[in-house]
Amino acid sequence: MNDKPIVVEDLVKYYDGRCVLDGVSLEVPRGCIYGLLGRNGSGKTTMIRILLGLEPPTRGRTLVLGEDSMRLSARAHGRVGYVAEGHNLIQSYRVGRLISLCKGLSLQWNGEFFGRLVETFRLPMDRRVRELSAGMRAELNLALAMAIDPELLILDDPTLGLDTVARRQFLELAIDVIQRQGRTILFSSHILGDVERIADRVGILVAGKIVVDCTLEELKDRVKKLRVIFPERAPEDLYITEIINQQNQGREMVLTVANWNRQKQTILETFRPESCTELPMTLEDIFIECTRPASAPVLQESEV
Amino acid sequence: MLTLIKRELQDHAVHIVLAALICVGMVGQVILTAYWGVAGVGLGIDAAAMVILLVLFCMLGAAQMYTDRANRVSALLATLAVTRTRILAARVLAGAAIILAMLVPLLITAVAILYVTGAPLALYRGTIAEVSTAVVLTSLACYCVGLLMGWTTNKAIPAVSALFGILLIMLLVVVKGFGISAMVLLLLFSIASLLRVWYRFTSVSL
Repeated sequence: MNDKPIVVEDLVKYYDGRCVLDGVSLEVPRGCIYGLLGRNGSGKTTMIRILLGLEPPTRGRTLVLGEDSMRLSARAHGRVGYVAEGHNLIQSYRVGRLISLCKGLSLQWNGEFFGRLVETFRLPMDRRVRELSAGMRAELNLALAMAIDPELLILDDPTLGLDTVARRQFLELAIDVIQRQGRTILFSSHILGDVERIADRVGILVAGKIVVDCTLEELKDRVKKLRVIFPERAPEDLYITEIINQQNQGREMVLTVANWNRQKQTILETFRPESCTELPMTLEDIFIECTRPASAPVLQESEV
Repeated sequence: MLTLIKRELQDHAVHIVLAALICVGMVGQVILTAYWGVAGVGLGIDAAAMVILLVLFCMLGAAQMYTDRANRVSALLATLAVTRTRILAARVLAGAAIILAMLVPLLITAVAILYVTGAPLALYRGTIAEVSTAVVLTSLACYCVGLLMGWTTNKAIPAVSALFGILLIMLLVVVKGFGISAMVLLLLFSIASLLRVWYRFTSVSL
């Protein structure tokens, strides 16, 4: 087994002269649930498609299970489960036929587990894929990806279109997969609550660049939102680096800072604030702060 | 590989049935002409049927690539335990198998009729081999034109280009005859087309 099932090295992708990925580098360790976050058009799906060899990179390279993505062997493909955004299934096929095709093209097929999923999701075998609801298509795609007992599971916004119950079932399934030793999940989602619940490491893509790549705990620990009250009008500039967001209103300043440390606190104290209170931040708050157009923090493991 | 070939055959069953109907019609027509018909008229009908068959083989190649592109079939298959090269190989093997399955019985019937009608087979052996090879190679070349033209989501461009390609191939056979030079050209054309299809299929985004 590979220690780093996913390695991305200086990945650049241009579409019609537009830069979608701009020098992205990251590594996903084995057994990790990696939550890839980013706004629409930030390059998440493109990166996932490049990883799977569905899209050629403009520059740089990606390794999946130790093999170059553009030259992935059938054996490596067979160890990767993939749930595509929009659930890319053959629409004209009946569910039963699609299942037998995927089963025929798999290295291993966990029939018992798959049967359980089909029963849980109540998938109709005789209906065409295009006749299924978006939620059912998502469930079918997920069941097919899970049935091969993947060493690496790549999920591109998998809960899109699922109702609350199905979403919860999906998350439980993902946890079930990770509990089998050595399984790795790369998980992109817009639902930050889901990521917060299952991911142990997160990456945030902003305009084609990775601005955050660290564990969830480190991220919450390092990004601080502070309400600072000054005796007089709040200063325009605190001369602190890595300020993600700053809002002044009279004597009050609300400040979001990356890589908060003792040195930055000392600089702040030179302005003699009356009070400084830390405001609690959820992953959603951090995500919104990090993806604001003006903000460009870089929170990676080497710095954290 | 067998799963992929089976999928191709099932997905393009309409083309197989149509080609089979034309071939059965041609066999029937040959039998009727051999015993009761006028040779000139029969030959004309067979030539027209052969042209339709060539167009059908071209349509088969185009349909294989076009439906894949439009329905994003390979985008799904390429995420399973197969490579792009294997997907394409299965497609081409299925296409070649269909062509041979249609033409071989047709050629066997023609030879059988010559034998039954007492024609000197030893005399015609060279001609029969040349015509058979030329028919198979022309069919393969037309199929390759279809494969080349089908990889686009536009319907009009591949249709017009494919018809133009078939016309060129038929003109080549008409001008050069069923000789060895025509066969070499058809073979080279088919190999070049397949290499081009392989390069495009393995390097584009799915």
